Amino acid sequence: MEVKKDIMWRIYFSFFFICLFGVAIVVQIFRIQFVQGTYWKQKADSLTTDYRDIEASRGNITSDDGSILATSVPIYDIRMDMNADGLPEEFFNDQVDSLARCLSDLFKDRSKSEYKHDLRQARQEGDRYFLVRRNVHFPELQKVKQFPILRLGRYRGGMIVETRSVRENPFRSLAARTIGYQRAVKPVGIEAAFNKELKGVSGQRLEQKISGGIWIPINDKDEIEPKDGNDIITTLDVNIQDVAEHALEEHLRKHNADHGCAVLMEVATGEIKAIANLSRNSEGNYLEDFNYVIAEATEPGSTMKMASLLAAMDDGLVSPEDSIYVGNGEYSYYNQPMKDSHAPKATKLSVAQAFETSSNVGISKVIFNAYNKTPQKFINHLKKFHLDKSLGLQIEGEGEPRIKDVKDKDWSLVSLPWISIGYEVKLTPLQILTFYNAIANNGKMVQPKFVKEEQYHGKTVETFSTQVISDTIASPAAIAKAKKLLEGVVQKGTASSLSKSCYRIAGKTGTAQMFGNQFGYDKNHMSYQASFVGYFPADNPKYSCMVVVYAPSNDMYFGGAVAAPVFREISDKVYSTRMELHDTMPVTDSLVKSVPLAKSGSQKELNKVLAQLNVNVISPNADAAWVSTSPSANSVRLSERKIISGLMPDVSGMGAKDALNVLENAGLRVKMNGKGIVSRQSVEAGTKIQKGQQITVDLN
Amino acid sequence: MHVNWLDKYFRGDRTIWMIVFILSLFSLIAVYSSTGTLAYKYKSGNTEYYLVKHLLILVFGIGLMYAAHLVKYTYYSRISQIAFYLAIPLLALTLAMGTNLNEASRWLTLPGINLSFQTSDLAKLALIIYVARMLSKKQENIKDFKTAFVPIMLPVLIICGLILPANFSTAAVLFATSCFLMFIGRINMKYIVMLGVIGAFCVSLFVGIALLTKSSGRVGTWKARIENFVKGDDQGNYQTQQAKIAIATGGLIGKFPGHSTQKNFLPHPYSDFIYAIIIEEEGSLGGVFIIFLYVLLFFRVIRFINHSPMAFGTLLAVGCTFSLVFQAMINMAVAVNLFPVTGQPLPMLSMGGTSIWFTSIAIGIVLSVSRQVEKEKKEGGAELATT
Repeated sequence: MEVKKDIMWRIYFSFFFICLFGVAIVVQIFRIQFVQGTYWKQKADSLTTDYRDIEASRGNITSDDGSILATSVPIYDIRMDMNADGLPEEFFNDQVDSLARCLSDLFKDRSKSEYKHDLRQARQEGDRYFLVRRNVHFPELQKVKQFPILRLGRYRGGMIVETRSVRENPFRSLAARTIGYQRAVKPVGIEAAFNKELKGVSGQRLEQKISGGIWIPINDKDEIEPKDGNDIITTLDVNIQDVAEHALEEHLRKHNADHGCAVLMEVATGEIKAIANLSRNSEGNYLEDFNYVIAEATEPGSTMKMASLLAAMDDGLVSPEDSIYVGNGEYSYYNQPMKDSHAPKATKLSVAQAFETSSNVGISKVIFNAYNKTPQKFINHLKKFHLDKSLGLQIEGEGEPRIKDVKDKDWSLVSLPWISIGYEVKLTPLQILTFYNAIANNGKMVQPKFVKEEQYHGKTVETFSTQVISDTIASPAAIAKAKKLLEGVVQKGTASSLSKSCYRIAGKTGTAQMFGNQFGYDKNHMSYQASFVGYFPADNPKYSCMVVVYAPSNDMYFGGAVAAPVFREISDKVYSTRMELHDTMPVTDSLVKSVPLAKSGSQKELNKVLAQLNVNVISPNADAAWVSTSPSANSVRLSERKIISGLMPDVSGMGAKDALNVLENAGLRVKMNGKGIVSRQSVEAGTKIQKGQQITVDLN
Repeated sequence: MHVNWLDKYFRGDRTIWMIVFILSLFSLIAVYSSTGTLAYKYKSGNTEYYLVKHLLILVFGIGLMYAAHLVKYTYYSRISQIAFYLAIPLLALTLAMGTNLNEASRWLTLPGINLSFQTSDLAKLALIIYVARMLSKKQENIKDFKTAFVPIMLPVLIICGLILPANFSTAAVLFATSCFLMFIGRINMKYIVMLGVIGAFCVSLFVGIALLTKSSGRVGTWKARIENFVKGDDQGNYQTQQAKIAIATGGLIGKFPGHSTQKNFLPHPYSDFIYAIIIEEEGSLGGVFIIFLYVLLFFRVIRFINHSPMAFGTLLAVGCTFSLVFQAMINMAVAVNLFPVTGQPLPMLSMGGTSIWFTSIAIGIVLSVSRQVEKEKKEGGAELATT
């Protein structure tokens, strides 16, 4: 019993020890609860739950007809938790090979063995956040979700998918600078200007953090739903924009220019239909990276002459018929020489002629004579044209215009004549265009507009009406004279290259010298800025447009030669696509009476078309399927064209569609060259043919 | 009638049975509540999955307990021998090729039935019984170093040594339990203290090495845990921090079952930190009650052991009980931040098949001893008197 007693006290001792242990735990519990209680409770409140932002989806930016110019699409980063709880070693080793192959096949950015190596290494390092691939689009993500290992999901396959939203421009670089972008540093364009509207309102959701740093929503009630951003409907026309950019790029390339811009505006509303800005990068490619149209204020050169003359005409000091002595095209103001770029045709020109040929001496003398005593009057008149004020555009970054006052420090005796021909002032292309647009708009100056509407889910939130800057910048008589002058420039002046057209253009060329080494030229090497600004159709202006090419370097630098062709390509495109412009097209009698050219082809279809056009038809064989046409005095004669199987049919005079139809039905393999109507067929009509024989058809 | 039926089938100390049932109930509630995140993660919110699974595990565990308590405890002497010799190769195997969970090779997947279990749980029970057996056998010259201390200490060192690389805390707790058991079994205190000193030296050496070397693998985990504990306050240890929040916000009567918020923050709220969740939901009163249950368990064992004449029975029951209660205290001490974070489950409360089942078997063994004592008491003191 001694042994038993010995054991028992030891057991009691152990029991006592356990009791002590228990008491220690109890004490600690109460210590945490009562001594440190408040601290931990506060901590709990700050840690457990939080209102988390739910980002709203950003609105779209669309063209005037609703084509999407900028939109937000979700994009995904795929990562892998290599230490995922349910990803056993054996399974990983088993499947890593096929996973690597799948990834390599899909993304093609790394070879299978590279992928395998990367995956293995990440697994070895226990990387819980291994980047598999960045910027994966939705269809790819769907595929990745089917891949070995990853298809098991987050906890067994370690797949982590992170969603972001990226801004995409479906038309890529089209009007890129005007559409702009929103980012932390220096956002630009419409994206920046309308960020508040586009952004929407973030929602909030009460969420709780669970282990592993995952946030889960607590309930649905407290949620503040995010409100999607509004869509911004711009005034841009995708088709015209496309033409403007391509035409501009083509000519910039041709003239090896430093940069250039083109902008098209609707006369009555000020809506910008196209705005292109291109500059040459170090590799010689032209890219949109600066909005010259709105931002670059330079000395405009000859395009200023219109403002000068309009001021003088409005003041009744000058009339286009007045004559001015220009001599040999050289003149000095206070020993400061001025020279015309082309020697004048005569020593004495009418003011209109001086304007049309863009005579520096002529125009400056007119203004000098008119305002020499009262230069500030001239300046004030220019200010009446609002040329000294910025336009207050919807988007940021407008260049500051400058019209100097007589009292300004840098005013000199020669300031007046030089300002009159577009030097010693600064204007942006859009400011000049706005002035010319006012002339086209019969004196009413409107603010250029980039955005016409704000929508939320297709419903209008706000429309941006046309802002009138000035109801009339000059007297109607003066405006009418100005229009005449501008038409003269195209008809017989520096922009005569634009005269041959089925609609009439009015406008003014500009060739400004740029001093200094701004574009890598020193003082001895003059650099030029070629421009053309105008409107069309001249008799009922609908659109105004300005094109500026900076520093063309292939020997050609006159506005009429460098900038006018770009204008022409844009105006042609606009004219051909805008039906409302065609109403004014003159219709001559001879056109109505003559019989139209009709292609040979299906009699049924020819009859339909000719009946629509009210053309008389003479057809001896009304049942014939295929006919050839022959025009007579005021009717079209249709004669049957027999198709005999086994013999080569005659397809001459047919359109491509009909010819192909006939020939393929005869069992021939057809190769076609050119377009228009069939002028030649490689196998003569009536010769024997075999099925599957090849035949070539030329059209023109 | 009812009582008779219970008497007939549920032998042994009735209070212990009661304790087991109450603990199971607590376990069921706490696990159901705290597997929310687990269910959210793996079973798309199907929390019943874990409830049913855990219920089945508990029922099976009580079944095991029932079976174990029917076996006459003297048989465990033999079984422990077999289990002990089985445990050694199994532990070695686990170390070599066990499933790598949290970088610790603790789990062995049984071929055929595809069930992974923690071999250390088996080894632990086997060792405790084996030590009890050896102690009772060597009672005649228990104070001897060569014939008593060495043959008992050697198996302890072997088993603990095999567990150590994968699971430091289990090895340490098992070693401490074994030492206590040897103290109870009257091994010369001198040797135990000596071994304790050596053990402490080894541990501190290990800690020192861990702190000085670059942390990688398990050593990294240990190092981080020790550093966090030493650094103390709220900055370091996320788990302790969250556990303390659970305890503090639980208050006296708790947030009531299912209302824990900390279960979402605590890693393994259903095992390592289940005690914190219990305090959060059932309050400190619930927490104290759990401690009381474990202490009561020990107390009940001591009570019937008073009547037990046999050294093996005594040592077996006390060994199993002490191991269990001691582990429970360690777990709770971790949850209240008295101890650094270890991976010890709370016996009978934490989720996890192997732990619950081997705990059940241990209690079954205790009940078997209790049943035997009762039986002998009933069969008359005469027998006792004659011996």
